[in-house]
Amino acid sequence: MSSQIDVARPETVVDVDRPWITLVWNDPINLMSYVTFVFMEYFKYDRAKAELLMLDVHEKGRAVVSNGTREEMERDVAAMHGYGLWATLKKDD
Amino acid sequence: MGGFSKSLTGRVVLRVDEVEKGLLVSLADQVCEFVTPEPRANADPLASIVGIDMDAEFPDDPAMARLFPDAYSDDPEAALDFRRFTQRSLQEAKLAHARTVLQSLSKSGEKITLGAGEVPSWLGFLNDARLAIGTRIEISEENHDELAELPEDDPRHGMFHVYDWLTYLQESLVQLLLP
Repeated sequence: MSSQIDVARPETVVDVDRPWITLVWNDPINLMSYVTFVFMEYFKYDRAKAELLMLDVHEKGRAVVSNGTREEMERDVAAMHGYGLWATLKKDD
Repeated sequence: MGGFSKSLTGRVVLRVDEVEKGLLVSLADQVCEFVTPEPRANADPLASIVGIDMDAEFPDDPAMARLFPDAYSDDPEAALDFRRFTQRSLQEAKLAHARTVLQSLSKSGEKITLGAGEVPSWLGFLNDARLAIGTRIEISEENHDELAELPEDDPRHGMFHVYDWLTYLQESLVQLLLP
């Protein structure tokens, strides 16, 4: 597992009941400050965690921003699209 | 030209001149037009009410595709299903943002004071407008300087300067909102 995934996870313990992940992808338009703001407002992450995730997106091209059931991740992805972030979900394998 | 600021009572304020205000009205009108869902001749009325659009397809237009991206990068069928169940609601949410901006502008002069309920719409509208324009001028992380120096007769010249101004506005608004 890459360090990118470790950093992005809220917990380092892999929960077998939460097998889907939401990824946010880098793009040249969304502002770094705005992406941080969205992670804080929607996921209720603190500023340090939101900035770490934002920097992961910016520098590594993507970051895992949440995990949960497929339905939960579809909700998160729809919310990210609402904010204009480029997000996808997939089964965590 | 000033960005967003906070009044002494903590309200979010934007001061614009007449030209800037006209530009914002025009941009909000264009975003409204751009995101308005297409009417469907044979749509199931109940499905439309709950936001389902069984005729939705991956958009041909790159700016539309950027505003309404696929939710599954490796499963086209699941991506299309997701789009059919979510895209219409997303279009309506973006339309509501742009309409709120038009209302804020029409009730104000050159000093626009936003109510707490209007702030998320302004933020969403500024981002949607930047996504649409940025995709049209094919902005990348490397070509900002190149676009800034385009000759005036290049169709992207004006769009780039509008994009740059919207970036400035959005950044000033985000800085006010970050705790």
